[in-house]
Amino acid sequence: MTRSSTLSPPENADGALADRVPPIRFGAVALLALGVVLAVVLGAVHITQGSADVSPLDLFASLTGAGNDQATAILVASRLPRLMAGVIVGVALGVAGVLLQTVARNILASPDTLAVNAGAYFAVVAFSVFGLSLPLLASGAVAFVGGLAAAALVLALSAGRETGTVRLILAGSAIALALGSATTVLLLLFPERTIGLYAWGQGTIGQNGSTVVSTFGPVIVVGAVLALLFARRFDLLALGDDTASVLGVNVRRAQLIGVLVAIVLSAAAVNVAGPIGFVGLAAPAIARLIAAKVPGMQRHILLIPAAAILGVIVVLGADVLLRLVFGGAAGVEVPTGVVTTIFGAVFLVALALRMRASSEAAGRGLVSSRTVSTRRRITLSGIAAVLLVVVVVASLLLGDTKLLGGDLVNWVTGQSGPIVDFVLGTRAPRVFAAALAGAAFALAGAVVQAVSRNPLAEPAILGVTGGAGLGAVFVITLWPVASFVAVTGGGLIGAVGAAVIVFGLAARGGFANNRLILIGLGVSAAAAAGVSMLIIATDPYNGAKALTWLSGSTYGRTLPQLVPLAIALVFALPVLLSARRELDLLAFDDDTPRVLGIRIAPARLGLLAVSVVLTAAAVAAVGSIGFVGLVAPHAARALVGARHSAVLPLSALLGAILVCVADTLGRTAIAPAQLPAGLLTAVVGAPYFVWLLWRSRR
Amino acid sequence: MKTSPLAVLSLVAASALVLTGCGTTEDTTETDSGAATVSVVDDRGETIELDGPATKVVALEWNAAESLVSLGVMPTGISDIAGYTDYVQAAPVDDTVTDVGMRGEPSVDAIAGLAPDLVVVTNDLAETAITQIEEIAPVLVLRGADASDAIGQMEKNLGDIATLTGTEDEAETLLADLDAKIAEGKAAIEEAGLDGTAIALNDAYAYNGAITIRPFYQGALLTDVAEQLGLVSAWEGEGDENYGLGETDVEGLTALPADVKYLVLGSQEGTVYSNELAANPIWTSLPFVQSGDVYTLTDGIWPFGGPASIDLFVDSVVDSLTS
Repeated sequence: MTRSSTLSPPENADGALADRVPPIRFGAVALLALGVVLAVVLGAVHITQGSADVSPLDLFASLTGAGNDQATAILVASRLPRLMAGVIVGVALGVAGVLLQTVARNILASPDTLAVNAGAYFAVVAFSVFGLSLPLLASGAVAFVGGLAAAALVLALSAGRETGTVRLILAGSAIALALGSATTVLLLLFPERTIGLYAWGQGTIGQNGSTVVSTFGPVIVVGAVLALLFARRFDLLALGDDTASVLGVNVRRAQLIGVLVAIVLSAAAVNVAGPIGFVGLAAPAIARLIAAKVPGMQRHILLIPAAAILGVIVVLGADVLLRLVFGGAAGVEVPTGVVTTIFGAVFLVALALRMRASSEAAGRGLVSSRTVSTRRRITLSGIAAVLLVVVVVASLLLGDTKLLGGDLVNWVTGQSGPIVDFVLGTRAPRVFAAALAGAAFALAGAVVQAVSRNPLAEPAILGVTGGAGLGAVFVITLWPVASFVAVTGGGLIGAVGAAVIVFGLAARGGFANNRLILIGLGVSAAAAAGVSMLIIATDPYNGAKALTWLSGSTYGRTLPQLVPLAIALVFALPVLLSARRELDLLAFDDDTPRVLGIRIAPARLGLLAVSVVLTAAAVAAVGSIGFVGLVAPHAARALVGARHSAVLPLSALLGAILVCVADTLGRTAIAPAQLPAGLLTAVVGAPYFVWLLWRSRR
Repeated sequence: MKTSPLAVLSLVAASALVLTGCGTTEDTTETDSGAATVSVVDDRGETIELDGPATKVVALEWNAAESLVSLGVMPTGISDIAGYTDYVQAAPVDDTVTDVGMRGEPSVDAIAGLAPDLVVVTNDLAETAITQIEEIAPVLVLRGADASDAIGQMEKNLGDIATLTGTEDEAETLLADLDAKIAEGKAAIEEAGLDGTAIALNDAYAYNGAITIRPFYQGALLTDVAEQLGLVSAWEGEGDENYGLGETDVEGLTALPADVKYLVLGSQEGTVYSNELAANPIWTSLPFVQSGDVYTLTDGIWPFGGPASIDLFVDSVVDSLTS
């Protein structure tokens, strides 16, 4: 693919410099003015909404200095700061998104997808958990360092000659996932000390007075002005490194400035309102879509303000809508970020449907092309199988109560006493749940990656896992004493629903890569936001339980609950192995299988259906475990090459080992307290994945 | 690269061999007690029948732990001892008690290791976990709280625990003492001419400028106790169906009547008021703030606890309002 093709719609694919950077026209400026008017109207509505019963007239009177003391206080200490927070956060995220997109030449680059928000949020949470209370600007600096570190890691991992869309998002999603898991570990370990953090972690623009706004407002203004000062250079940067260099731009320096300004802006936004989801992605992307139609708008001197205004419109719009629908006090209970995420998700899906379908062979950077000898393949699979047995045995022995081999032998032969009986009776289902679910997630990941020819496309990132989670939590919230069967049913319906949406919408154009991932990311984010909304709105005091379930936990599993998962695996494995040739060919390109007489669409659909069933069964058994479907197939391919006859079994084995090890760590590391397996899977899997990406740079 | 997986494998295999080579961790002997049977019907409708009063009891929710301590039965194990010690100061546990993990996911291994006669949980614990624990000991499932009858639920929970631990006399004494304490508090309130005073009980938390205030609506245990003291809750609206809790922000406080006595639970949460809100103009514009009618109650009153916590609460409310 060419470097700029994902950044701008195909309308401006080629042409002279003058065509690509057209002059500013009146129409574009008028459109910006219209945007400002819309933002002002939203702001006016926004300021009248709140939990206090103050009439707009009183507020207006306060504005002119004639109001009563309390109305004035509400205006000055609550409404105006909240409005200002919405405005500066919208501006910060909109501008940050534009800069990151331009620097990465990628419409998907944003504070969310580059893990900037996740890094900033993790740093802030880590500091507060350890009881370190910092002055505001220092906490801003902490967030900046966290965001910078995360973004630097992501950019370093995705750098190299082939800076493709998918590689960037792959690195970003992986790091964001790992940081999110680490943050959740902290939230679970310190539930009382972080009670205010959970809602804040979803992003909320409510303010106590104007201190925060007046501290970070200037930072954001300076950042936005800096971005405008460099607008010309960003215009040239968007044309490609070589063109920009020829035109006298120091490419590296311009990129560095863009990234640093973007991170300062995102970190400031995180400090004002927590990680508000998807605004940094949606606002600039909408701006670019509009810019494609409006002459002159593509120039950064207009594009940056346009994204800023759209950022404000999205944030304020989300807040206004929330209070219109749920009443004035809803803003306290449901964080703004949840609504912006749902907005952003819907927009992402719409964007995906408008995009030209392209089947960029995204995975080439990761798929090992070297040939691996059959002997080596068999040896490695054998080693993995032995390792799995060892890990399972060790998992059975380790835990809060440490057992010895003799206990295990006694248990198997029926001679053990009540304590060993009980410990193994409750531990064995957990160990088997971890191993089976790990294998199922890994297989599903391997299949989805092959079918969509995309290393990013694993069930979690495609929203199928999230859909299953949403379905299950929906059942848990509505019927708190719901049986396991009902929860499983909810999970299955959710998984199938998400799969139908994602694959159904992506089917047009034959599951094109970029479209599939965009829709998947959207559905995944919407599902997560939906879960947060459900928990916060209906059962705020059961957050820990839902968090735990969503993070993927083997806690309290019993053997009968594993039956559906075992059945799914027993049927799926032979089916997939018999389809290994189709998988090999589908993973190669579009033409070869067609030439060889494989009907591509039905083959893809059938294989995807198998992976959806595997995912749903695994989610129902242990909750949402996100990382294994991504990591295990990559690891398998790195070890034995791309042939699915070898990749599938090894993926399953590695997935089982990974989740089993994570589960054992979770049960052992801080016993008697325990951590959900899914969080540790991410924490254990991330370093490996980072290493994998690092090694495959070129 | 070629030899390293094998090396790792042999290392792991060797350690596995070492582990499996050594004996067992338990010896199996049975003990029997010969006292009269006790039984209650719990929240699930299941009958819990014991051969005799339980002495080794594990409590997985803090209100059950508090009740046990008050009844003179020191639990063998409880969840999150550090948290309990911070938040439930009315009934401290001694150092014989074993920590069995977090309240959301207590360690079944640790519980099994204590070989309890009885495990007390609330319906907040996952059903499957309850099923597992039942394999090692009888499990009493309590409803954690009920906003339609908070005090009645607390008394029922105390009574069930007392029945199964053979401490019904102690429970009677506790409840009688509690009645006396409330009557005494009510008298003090009346004497001070505060009968019928509007109160707003709450706690609050804050992060980076986002402040959430948590009103204890009618139906919350402590609000119901305050009403027995002759006070009236000024919060309008309804909390959740179990705990009677809700959420609002500083703006929401403008709906409170001017003469309300604003009661803040716990000094840890109370810092929100002394730190974050002290300079907030909405807060300082509130009539009850201007008249100094904001009271921070004693630290460590567990709002979802039993007689001991309520006792502490009554003392603290009466002291705050009458002094």
